[in-house]
Amino acid sequence: MFDPFHEVVTNVSKTIMQFEAQLRRPVIGVMPAYFPMELIYAAGGYPVQLWGNNLTLEKSDAYLQSYCCSISRSVLELELREISKMVKAYAFTSLCDTLINLRELYRRLFSKPTLQLSIPITQTEEARQAYIKNVLKSVTTGLEEITGQQITQASLIEAATLYGHTRSLQRKLYNIRRQKPGIMKNHDFYTVLKAGFFLPAGAYNQLLETLLHNLEALSQPQDSRPKVLISGMVFDPIDTYKIFDELKFDIVDDDLANGWRTVSKENLQIENLVEGITQYLFNPAPCCCIYNPENDRHTYLLNRVKQSGADGVLFWYIKFCEPDAFDRPQLMNRLKAEGIPAAFIDMELSMSNFEALKTRINAFCEILEG
Amino acid sequence: MTQLAAYKKMKELMTNYYIEAKTTREKPIAWVTSGAPVEFLYAMDVLPIYPENYAAMCAAGHQSIELLEAAEAAGFSQDLCAYARTDFGADITQGGPVAGLPPPNFLLCSTNICKTVIKWYEVIARKYNVPLFIVDTPFLHDGLTKELIDYTISQFKDLENFLAEFTGKPFDRERFFEVLSLSSEASGYWKKMLYLAKEMPAPFNSLDSFIHLGPIVTLRGTQECVDFYKSLYAEVAERAAKKIGSLPEEKYRVLWDNLPIWFKMRRLEKFFEEKKCTLAVTTYANSWGGYSNIDNYQGKDIYEAMAASYLNVYINLGFEERINYLAQLIEEFSLTGFIMHSNRSCKPYSVGMYRLQEELSALSRKPGVVIEADQNDPRVYSDAQVETRLEAFIESMRPINN
Ligand code: SF4
Ligand code: SF4
Repeated sequence: MFDPFHEVVTNVSKTIMQFEAQLRRPVIGVMPAYFPMELIYAAGGYPVQLWGNNLTLEKSDAYLQSYCCSISRSVLELELREISKMVKAYAFTSLCDTLINLRELYRRLFSKPTLQLSIPITQTEEARQAYIKNVLKSVTTGLEEITGQQITQASLIEAATLYGHTRSLQRKLYNIRRQKPGIMKNHDFYTVLKAGFFLPAGAYNQLLETLLHNLEALSQPQDSRPKVLISGMVFDPIDTYKIFDELKFDIVDDDLANGWRTVSKENLQIENLVEGITQYLFNPAPCCCIYNPENDRHTYLLNRVKQSGADGVLFWYIKFCEPDAFDRPQLMNRLKAEGIPAAFIDMELSMSNFEALKTRINAFCEILEG
Repeated sequence: MTQLAAYKKMKELMTNYYIEAKTTREKPIAWVTSGAPVEFLYAMDVLPIYPENYAAMCAAGHQSIELLEAAEAAGFSQDLCAYARTDFGADITQGGPVAGLPPPNFLLCSTNICKTVIKWYEVIARKYNVPLFIVDTPFLHDGLTKELIDYTISQFKDLENFLAEFTGKPFDRERFFEVLSLSSEASGYWKKMLYLAKEMPAPFNSLDSFIHLGPIVTLRGTQECVDFYKSLYAEVAERAAKKIGSLPEEKYRVLWDNLPIWFKMRRLEKFFEEKKCTLAVTTYANSWGGYSNIDNYQGKDIYEAMAASYLNVYINLGFEERINYLAQLIEEFSLTGFIMHSNRSCKPYSVGMYRLQEELSALSRKPGVVIEADQNDPRVYSDAQVETRLEAFIESMRPINN
């Protein structure tokens, strides 16, 4: 029942080109994280999410130093090797220093248009509102120029409904996993999420609905297995989940920017779009890249661990991601102080030898099995 | 180092500053970033403390390794900016030249230098359980706009309210304007001094400017700061008038982009002197000259001028503007080439740098080189690698008057 998703994930370019031809919408490459797909769709675009890949870095090395995260490096590799030929424009957010400069680099290297959804960091309320209003204006105008279509109330409603539905179906999937850990292989679960980065929402939603229906027939494994929550920016490299599966180790929940932090977002409110975007960016899950002291990561993560029944937390760290790395030591200490085992594993997306990783995952497993 | 009488005075100023920091009982202490609008603090008798400056001192004094290791032992990744790690280490061990910084009463952070500082200050805010005030000065992808200025101003106003509440005194606007004017005056002297390096031979070099940077960072807004840079300017101007160069012989003149390599100052100085190469100008030291523009706005809204200055910081600019600015410096300072420090610690300064080098070389028709290093972490630095690259670069330059 997971085959259609695996199919997409192993044939990304083919999938995108096929739907591009079918939908006749320009493909917009979306960089990490939290750029609302709704806006792109409402402007007549076909958003595909670029969260990094496992290409060997042949060309991007000339422009991005080894101390840049492998997300930025591997995404640049796509464009330099012309793998992302079908992408007509790129949408960026201002998550971190690397991404901000990456956008500038794209502007210098390529002629494709780039959009920037700059996320305010202030706590001054009116300043924040006015800022988002301006950013929104520039993003929507930019999108309309790229697609040649206007964003209308009707197109916004359609987009908000469509993508809102995607996330609500994904939340159902998360719930099933929380309630019946082990019902899906970890590798299957994240493949389902990953397929959503490339499929148009309509087609993806259909697949999700079928999957949710089919899952009802499955029963949970009876053996007791360690349950873990993973926290970090991205769930990739996808093949690492085969290790968890092999070790009979269930990921029961996550706190990932391209996982629950996005999936948990409610439908985009469009009646007051500025307010809607504000809510979308800052709620409900906190993120290391979004400054929001009112939404404390420590309290949040402790609650998630409790609610999910996880036995421990594994920090899934993409090397050189400073926002993630700054938060981790205090978070880990806090978890440990509350008696929750926590460990971290660092990796690069381009890694191909998973042996060391396996040893470390296994070691953590053993702690949980105590 | 160029022999400057002002050096002793600077040492004295910085010592007094740190003594006050360590001993004050009356003044609240704020830890602030180097690009924060510190004038608001001086106006309210809050003592600003600069972890970045302290981290640089630790590295220049060859004390950063043990502090970096202490931070790493506490779980802070080697991937983090080495200023932050040095600071965490100094905080944990109470180490470095003044045995740690005094604990903060609150924190003030501005994003004009990087987004990294938000994460760094969040860690400190949590540790000390103190308020963190952020003035968000967004990256200027497309230059300054009225909206960005308004955005910044409304945070300035909010900062005034915050300070009034924190200190229990109404915000002293009159004093604030005085401080601003002092700040602007000191930055003016600093800038004028830096631009004396246009003279040939350059009367001082950029390594000197790095060494004399302390007060403009930490004491900007005070009378002592003005007095100091006034005298430094006078001294350097006299050298310029007498055509006394910083090096015995000046064959090449180059720009240095990015932070200094604090733990290699002496060695690099010797290296460049031997090669007869003056580091004539840097984007880094120039950054503090920008605050002198506040006075140029006289007649206009002072908050507007200030917002523009705090937004318009080199490292906060889009690449197009960066390239044009660099090309302009190359022209104005009659340079023979440029050096870009790809600084592992500082992503906003360094990510994309190889492209900037390509474009700047093409535009200015001057050779440029990128060296891989770090401002504070000697463990990721290789003398041989850097010097070999620099040697090849220097050989590729056409000497002045040729
Ligand atoms: S992984 Fe971290 S460093 Fe890389 S783009 Fe995302 S937020 Fe930035
Ligand atoms: S060195 Fe760079 S990253 Fe570190 S605090 Fe300074 S500006 Fe930010």
